[in-house]
Amino acid sequence: MTRTNAPARGSATLILLAVILASCAAFMALKVRTDAIVRKKLPGSSIIYLPSGKFLQYATFGYRALAADLIYLWAIQYYSTPTIDDRFNYLDHIFAIISELDPAYIDPYETGALIATAEAQDIRLAFKILDNGIEKNPQQWLLPFEAGHIAMMNLKNFDLAKDYFKKCMDLPGAPEFTRRLYANALYKKGDVETSWETWLEIYNTAPDERTKKIASNHLYQVKSAMDIDRLKEALKKYEERYGRRPAELGDLVRTRILNELPKDLDSRDYVYDPKTGEVKAATIPWRR
Amino acid sequence: MADAIRIENLKKSFRLGFIPKTKDILKGISLSVKEGEIFGYLGPNGAGKTTTIKCLLGLIFPDEGTIAIFGQPHLSARARQVLGFLPENPYFYDYLTAREFLAFYADLFGLGRNVKEERIGRLLKLVGLERAADLRLRKFSRGMLQRIGLAQALINDPKLVILDEPLGGLDPLGRKEIRDIIVRFKQEGKTVFFTSHILQDIEMICDHVAIIVGGLVVKQGALQDLVSEKVLFTEITVMGVSPESFRGLGESVSVQGERVLLKVLEEKRVDDVLAVVREKKGKIISLSPRTETLEDIFVETVTGT
Amino acid sequence: MKIVAIAGITFKEAKRDRILYLLFFFAAVAILASRVLAVLTVGDRVKIIKDVGLSSISIFGVLMAVLIGTSLVYKEIDKKTIFTLLSKPLHRAEFILGKFFGLVLTLLVMTLGMSLIFLVIVYLHTFRVEWPMLIAIAYIFLELVLITAVAILFSSFSTPILSSIFSLSFYLIGHLSWGLEVLIKKMQAGAGRAVAQFLYIFLPDLENFNFKMEVVHGLPIPAGIFVYSFLYGVFYTAFILGLAILIFRRRDFI
Repeated sequence: MTRTNAPARGSATLILLAVILASCAAFMALKVRTDAIVRKKLPGSSIIYLPSGKFLQYATFGYRALAADLIYLWAIQYYSTPTIDDRFNYLDHIFAIISELDPAYIDPYETGALIATAEAQDIRLAFKILDNGIEKNPQQWLLPFEAGHIAMMNLKNFDLAKDYFKKCMDLPGAPEFTRRLYANALYKKGDVETSWETWLEIYNTAPDERTKKIASNHLYQVKSAMDIDRLKEALKKYEERYGRRPAELGDLVRTRILNELPKDLDSRDYVYDPKTGEVKAATIPWRR
Repeated sequence: MADAIRIENLKKSFRLGFIPKTKDILKGISLSVKEGEIFGYLGPNGAGKTTTIKCLLGLIFPDEGTIAIFGQPHLSARARQVLGFLPENPYFYDYLTAREFLAFYADLFGLGRNVKEERIGRLLKLVGLERAADLRLRKFSRGMLQRIGLAQALINDPKLVILDEPLGGLDPLGRKEIRDIIVRFKQEGKTVFFTSHILQDIEMICDHVAIIVGGLVVKQGALQDLVSEKVLFTEITVMGVSPESFRGLGESVSVQGERVLLKVLEEKRVDDVLAVVREKKGKIISLSPRTETLEDIFVETVTGT
Repeated sequence: MKIVAIAGITFKEAKRDRILYLLFFFAAVAILASRVLAVLTVGDRVKIIKDVGLSSISIFGVLMAVLIGTSLVYKEIDKKTIFTLLSKPLHRAEFILGKFFGLVLTLLVMTLGMSLIFLVIVYLHTFRVEWPMLIAIAYIFLELVLITAVAILFSSFSTPILSSIFSLSFYLIGHLSWGLEVLIKKMQAGAGRAVAQFLYIFLPDLENFNFKMEVVHGLPIPAGIFVYSFLYGVFYTAFILGLAILIFRRRDFI
């Protein structure tokens, strides 16, 4: 009895399976081969197709925030890949886009500024990014805080730092250490009067002992600075008048250059070394 | 002569549903169709007629059993070359014209151009669609589709023609035409295997018949063997005699004015009825013995199983 | 040849599908709109036109391949036209291949049409026939061929909607291959990474067919990649069609 075409079908199936497996092996091998071939990329070309944020807004069909997120996530990966040499060329562009798409997304401003500062060594760009963020989010204390921080640490521009800290310390949610940063920046800048006033205010409104102590230390420091300045000025006058340095600080009072000797915050005298003409505070503020 | 179709112990079950439940459709079909005969395949809905045909054609793969067409394995190219198929409720590419449609199927058989053209012309004539040759199929009526489908089944001049419900949905004239065509196939030496619900048609043209119920062939054989010539009852129409005269001889089926229709069960009673009519000086309008029909067999078989 | 016969009627059937013309219309609009868009940019206008043009041909080509391909085989099964077809002496493989080539032919016609519009628009700007564009288009077409095979594969056993989703997923996965590469670099050696590496070379990498960037910027393309990418496309297509035939062969048509 003739059976159904089983043997013929069986061999056809085998051939088919062989073809399938062979082509699979072939394309997998070819994939390895094509990977090996390096295709010339334009510098920064992996993102060269990113148009300006304004256009992207409409192109993302209402999923702007999501697009901002995705681009941000991608950017993080992109910037943590050290092998892309030219990755900083479009740092500005990329973070500008994210800002366009979702201006209220704070993290990218921070991260962008961080990358600009720490890796791209472009402080100006960091400020550009942060300023953009501050402009779009005037109530957000974190951004001027970061900017002030960079001004303090990297630029050592205390004037700029003080401006940023002043901006941020009054914003809702700003932690109270931002006031201290402001006061400190003032001091570093040399604006001792305002620094004293600010520290005094912090001292008076301190919520806990620790803050009070910190404020007190700073007050000590500022007062010392102020007093030492006065003393130095007096010393100079003395030298002009008498052609030599005084033997001790009391001389300044005796010769009526000063009405009285300023004492430090703990009512101690300042220390004077007649040989070098240096005036110092009795102690380091933090050791009090 | 080899059997045109020989099916032995054909079994097929399907796994249906999300949680697969096995449903046995064909439970061991065996039948044989001789070359040159018209074979009718009957059964109630869901018995497995169409499934059997699909197995025959290689649209479904059987779980068990063998099928041979003219001695060849049913899936072989040689078997397919010599058969033609018309499905139930055919639907074709409606954007093709009748001619293009047949030309396409001719290409599938690899017919040469001359043969192709000649055959298409002949077939269109055979099924009576010459005038619609360049009409798109989407404009065809049901009957016309049936006919072009038949033409397609014949494009390769097959030795075996398989038709699934070829007479369904046709008016009496259409049915007669198809019946005549089928008979003509037989005269040309072709074998015809078809399913139908219309038992009168089967009775008229089939040589052999198989009845399938619940996935098994329960009756198979030559039509004349199945349907005995036994007289079931005799119908006599009489005029001019009152129904009471026939009490005890037969049942009065209907009375219309002067006419009485009687159903007489026993043969010898017929003579008694005739005697009464002669006695009462009535008139016999008609007398017809009613033999067993295929329908009777069918109903008996199906309800019996 | 039977495959040719089936390809022929597939082509006839596909080109009647209105979706094809709708997508072609949108592609044409996009290419023409790029001309308007270009006015907004500062600097090189042609770049925008080329970018939008090539991208349109690519995207709309993929949509055509998917939408038509996924309904092609399904319609035959659903409408039962397949019964008369498969009862003829026709291998099921011939059926699948015929459908495939018919659809490829349709896409070829559509791609040529879109390319023509594109090249004309570019010509109007640069007054040069930009032959390098054809390279990018040729490989876009190769990508479409592969997507077509995928669409047919899914169409042979699944409904049009699911098939479309699967096919589009294939397309997306194919363009995210680099993501897997990045992931692998950051993974620790071990079983997980081995699996990821296997997936990386097994899953499709459709970027192999993407020369849009190089062509628009006039960058040199290393010679080897033409051949390797082409072969990659050919073998992957063969693989997919093989699977489609395998599945289709044992299918019962209830």
